Amino acid sequence: MKKFDYLKPTSLDEVFSLMEKFGSNAKLIAGGTDVMVLLKRKRIFPDVLISLRSVPNMAYIKDEKDKIRIGSMTTHRELETSTVIKEKLTALYDAVINLGSVQIRNVATIGGNIANAAPSADTACPLLVLDASCLLISSKGEREVELKDFFIAPGETVMKQDEILKEFIIPKPSKLSGSAYWKLSRRKAMDLPILGVAISLAMNEDKSIKKARIGLGVAAPTPIRAFKAEEFLTGKFLTDEVLAEAGNIASKEASPRDSIRGEAWYRREMIRVLTKRVATISFKRANIV
Amino acid sequence: MESQLKSVGKRVPKVDAREKVTGRAIYIHDLKLPGMLYGKILYSKYPHARILNIDTSKAEKLPGVRAVITGFNTPEIRIGFMKDQPVLKKDKVRQYRDEVAAVAAIDPDIAEEALDLIKVDYEPLPGLFDPEEAVKEDAILIHEYDAKGKPLKNNILKLPWRLIAGDVEQAKKESDFIVEDSFRVTWVTHCCMGTSGCIALFDLDNNLTIYSITQIPFLAQNDFNAALKAMGLKGKNTRVINTVIGGGFGSKLDTHVYEYIAILLAYRTRKPVKILFTREEEFFAQPPRQPAIIKISQGCKKDGNLTFREVDMLLDNGAYTSWGATTPSVMMVPISSLYKVPNIKYTARSVYTNNIYAQAMRGYGNPQATFAVESSMDILAEAAGIDPMEFRLINVNLPGEITPQNFKVTTCGLKECIESVGEGLNWKDAKKNKKKKRGVGMSSLIHVGGGARVYKSDGHGMIMKVDDFGKISVITGAVEIGQGSETVISQVAAEVLGVFPEDIQIIKGDTSICPWDVGTHASRQAFVSCNAAIMVANKIKKEILDIAGKYFNVDPENLDIKNRVIYLKDEPENSEKQMPLDKLLRRAHFSKHGTMIMAETFYDPPNEMLNQEFKGNLSCTYAYGTTGVEVEVDTETGHVEIKKYFAAHDVGRALNPMLLEGQIYGAAVMGTGYALTEQLILKQGKVMNDNFLDYKILTAKDKIPIVPILVETIDELGPLGAKGIGEPACVPTAPAIANAIHDAIGVRIKDLPITPEKILKALKEKEKKG
Repeated sequence: MKKFDYLKPTSLDEVFSLMEKFGSNAKLIAGGTDVMVLLKRKRIFPDVLISLRSVPNMAYIKDEKDKIRIGSMTTHRELETSTVIKEKLTALYDAVINLGSVQIRNVATIGGNIANAAPSADTACPLLVLDASCLLISSKGEREVELKDFFIAPGETVMKQDEILKEFIIPKPSKLSGSAYWKLSRRKAMDLPILGVAISLAMNEDKSIKKARIGLGVAAPTPIRAFKAEEFLTGKFLTDEVLAEAGNIASKEASPRDSIRGEAWYRREMIRVLTKRVATISFKRANIV
Repeated sequence: MESQLKSVGKRVPKVDAREKVTGRAIYIHDLKLPGMLYGKILYSKYPHARILNIDTSKAEKLPGVRAVITGFNTPEIRIGFMKDQPVLKKDKVRQYRDEVAAVAAIDPDIAEEALDLIKVDYEPLPGLFDPEEAVKEDAILIHEYDAKGKPLKNNILKLPWRLIAGDVEQAKKESDFIVEDSFRVTWVTHCCMGTSGCIALFDLDNNLTIYSITQIPFLAQNDFNAALKAMGLKGKNTRVINTVIGGGFGSKLDTHVYEYIAILLAYRTRKPVKILFTREEEFFAQPPRQPAIIKISQGCKKDGNLTFREVDMLLDNGAYTSWGATTPSVMMVPISSLYKVPNIKYTARSVYTNNIYAQAMRGYGNPQATFAVESSMDILAEAAGIDPMEFRLINVNLPGEITPQNFKVTTCGLKECIESVGEGLNWKDAKKNKKKKRGVGMSSLIHVGGGARVYKSDGHGMIMKVDDFGKISVITGAVEIGQGSETVISQVAAEVLGVFPEDIQIIKGDTSICPWDVGTHASRQAFVSCNAAIMVANKIKKEILDIAGKYFNVDPENLDIKNRVIYLKDEPENSEKQMPLDKLLRRAHFSKHGTMIMAETFYDPPNEMLNQEFKGNLSCTYAYGTTGVEVEVDTETGHVEIKKYFAAHDVGRALNPMLLEGQIYGAAVMGTGYALTEQLILKQGKVMNDNFLDYKILTAKDKIPIVPILVETIDELGPLGAKGIGEPACVPTAPAIANAIHDAIGVRIKDLPITPEKILKALKEKEKKG
């Protein structure tokens, strides 16, 4: 492993000045569960790691009137044990309880999971279907980017060299809505998804779908939304035929590839199967009597 | 007898467990010697290539580097079962993991950096990765010459396996039902929690000490002494010292290239040199279990009696041989002797390829062979219209049988194993009232259970000495690789001597102190070392009672020891004729012409080496068992969930039920991984998943509801009746699961692992056919 300096700034201002000083020779590190693997596997060669761990006020879950704000340094374990997440952002809860192991969840942060921009990031699909935005800040100011516009390519996001991911802003789900995430994996812990499917549904009183969101992980170079399938679902009732068709459409929107972790045809097929299943769970969670 | 046992049969926790779970045990990872250097290995960039040149000049100049070695600047050491592997390669590389150079430096990072500075020029050659291509007459040669320099004509190992018993062709004519199928198994690896490593150092007389994790210290001593000879140090000796070992499972049954590299670096630098594998190296540079393509045909009569079994195998040996090249010898065990089959034909060829070379792994070929045999049993049962459990019972092995391979079956609890598993699964009900997508399946096993004579000696040496405080040191050649032999030796010795297991201290892991043992393999360690413990403890006891007899002026025959006290058998309550053991020992020691009590033994079990026809009583008793599972298959995702798991084992006697169950739990998880999730993925010879993320060993969260069932048959030759259990429990899992999946959804998966993708594909095929 290459030698590097490990810097632990204690304020955002200090972070920004270090980022400016080292530029592309620096790598930000949060929980380290991705960065350290990349370092050990000689995939990145930074001179400096800038840790965000000692920067105050970066880890929080704020339950506001119509929004939930999650600080980027919030660990998966903190999310998992939060009743706000468990009750209101159920898809995100589904994702965090099955990520890695408790030991990993104790250090891995939600900001790291998203900023690392892996197609398999477990929290990406739930955040996508919950219409999350990312608050990016730099020494010059801040801007909000919707998560659906955040990812560019594997490991690549719209974040600029001088920006850091500060928080996620999630509109509070309306009544009569429900969300869920399904991680398809070979084993029940310490695994990445072969495919991840998140769905949120906002329902009308008559049980027709008011708004649908479908997020797919490992189905394309980045986590994606299945916009066409969402559009198809809008206004429909959740019948077996509708679900099957939504699955077909979503499957066509995806561009999965063959990898040692799974074959493209299987992923495509599973989008069909899981769209059905996850939509059904989301519908149940919407609690329409 | 049962009620009299004080220590044996009790759930005594492993004696080394607390040290391990509190982090106090000293593994090779923890060990550091003064002045120690760190070695790192440069591996090949190609699966098959000629080495044109190796330039180490830049690496040598890197500050902190103490030595850079290659095949060009070191004496040639050849290793492997057929001595076909030079430690450092200089003419050709034949696999990605081929070692072309190595560095010793003052710290591991510098050593690593130096590797990047070594420039190797290769001329790439076409590679052979498919064993069916590699056996062809016109295939390119992976080895042009054998170890003796004789030209080779093809890639087939000169180890022809051929077992014939009875007349298979005639039996085919007489069979009412015949099935024929082909099965495939792939690479899986041991996944020891402790990665490989060693420290080698030379004294001023050029004798070698190596701190090692080998499971065969005395054969390793032999191997390393041969290396010393090759290095021009003839007559020098090796002392092998074991650290605590973080798992074996067959992976330490050979001496390995990295150990010889550490030896060469230590000799060159005159410093202790440590090599410690990274997890990635553990995956790609540690030989896995060998893949095989298995053709099997079996027949039976209308009444279900088996008529013949014919098996032909092609094994992918990889680039070099290890002891694992002899796994077909153990594959013969289930092929010839699992169930009563009068006519047997087994042939196997092992072929060189440019894949990673393979070695022994828990079961030593038995899991591969049993997957084919027991899958085929279900297929044949279906063809004959007989319930698979009934079919097994019709053909069940029984005590007193002599099998076609000339195994003499003494005790055999197979019938009881099958029945108890059937009971656990509610077999008849599950078959009669079949639930959708649910299915039951079972598979049995036979394995060596009383040692296995695969070497000149199957023996075990043990020394016992007693101190002034009634404590007993047992100096054993046994290697503890997690199986718990130290614990059961303590229990057995305590039983014989009338003391407590905590009075026994096990001294082990040093070839200069401990007597010879062939190694921890073949599920033999509890069997041989506990038999030795009984022999030597009886000697000790006799000495003690002789002295006590003189002291009390009674016939020693009338004395015994219980709870650390010597007493008169006729008058156990007579306190006049009692003496604490330690008191008597001090008396014996410190009297005029005093005596110290110690004894030794060498136990070599009465088993036979296979003859030229591969027949003979390989083991002096055989272990049997049956695994049965109920599965539920998600026919949309292909996911298999194990709902029930029963593992019944004829263990002879449960010396320690807790440890036995531990063996069964671990083996069940390993076997389930083999069945469903584990595989080393090789692409053109390269290991693509050299990490625990992508190599899918199961975790604690993938709960398998394992229920162990211990069947005691009290074997005459076993120590207090016990048989081996180390390997058996992982043998029948995969076919049991495959059979259950077939029962659940009607598709038969014939290659491992049974992935969801394979299940879905098979379901689609089935749908197409209607």
